[in-house]
Amino acid sequence: MSFDIQQFGVKRTQIPPLQNRPDLRPPMNPGLAAGPREEEAPQGDPPQQEPQGDAKKSALIESIQQLGQTSVASSPDSNIHCLSIIGQIEGHMAMPPQNKTTKYEHLIPQLVAIEQNPKIEGLLVILNTVGGDVEAGLAIAEMIASLSKPKVSLVLGGGHSIGVPIAVSSDYSFIAPTATMTIHPVRLTGLVINVVESFEYLQKMQDRVVSFVTSHSNIEEKVFRELMLKVGELTRDVGTNVVGTKAVEYGLIDEVGGIAQAMQKLNELIQENKQKENILQ
Amino acid sequence: MIIYSVMPMELIMENMEGMSDIQYEETEIDGVKMVVERTPQTSEAKIVRLLSLNPQDYLNPRFAPGTTIYFRPNA
Repeated sequence: MSFDIQQFGVKRTQIPPLQNRPDLRPPMNPGLAAGPREEEAPQGDPPQQEPQGDAKKSALIESIQQLGQTSVASSPDSNIHCLSIIGQIEGHMAMPPQNKTTKYEHLIPQLVAIEQNPKIEGLLVILNTVGGDVEAGLAIAEMIASLSKPKVSLVLGGGHSIGVPIAVSSDYSFIAPTATMTIHPVRLTGLVINVVESFEYLQKMQDRVVSFVTSHSNIEEKVFRELMLKVGELTRDVGTNVVGTKAVEYGLIDEVGGIAQAMQKLNELIQENKQKENILQ
Repeated sequence: MIIYSVMPMELIMENMEGMSDIQYEETEIDGVKMVVERTPQTSEAKIVRLLSLNPQDYLNPRFAPGTTIYFRPNA
């Protein structure tokens, strides 16, 4: 399937149901209409009887409901890809629908595509996450860390638990002054059968997170473990809530900043990368 | 599977029982296979995940998980 980067713009158009618009039927249609195969034809579904005039109105309402506004400004072609890590990081188990999730099975091939696509020159990772699956989070972090293109991360709001390794996986990390990162131990809930083995298993899981964070940021392992086991900071757990400037002081994050600084840094890194490529050629 | 999160486990796992009622279905749009969640009583469905082997499909905002798609009766 050929792919055009122009589709990457933020503009997302919702196309109304198409049964009244034979002129818009696939394959020419750019919209979202699915043509189910004969055997997959919906059974017992009333065909939509929406008049054409209402279709435009309903598309408008839908865009207000989904995006909170009527239309999204279209942007010029961008050479960076923005990856937002929000809510829970969903891994091997689908989470109940009240959770907002970032699905790792979608992000991992997306990161492969970012590496492969010559039109994408840099990656901006924006985080506001409460944590989630350890293995899924580490997988995303490793994918970002091993990407050959310049990448910059920005923590807004929160980058907690497994969000910490993802935040430090980029070449350069930023944190908003009010954003926080909670550093606490990995926990096991539910039935514990073999205490010693469970403890060792958890210890190993913990070490994977700690070693990733310490090898991708300037924080020392001793300091990170101290923060993780600190008593009296969190109500339900041991650990520390590290706010903006503190995260930079500990060496966990590179700089306090916002979107402007992050974009500027990313553009600098892209330029450096291009110069390096030119020298090699 | 270990969840490493600041959210209490009971909040994350609330409504877990209702998960089995969700109807998943496989479909194909423009040659891209995907799993969708049917919205009962309508001709709409929500994309759950892609089954494509082409990584570029995952960059297409049309195929982002959560996007609503519409089924139409075959002409």
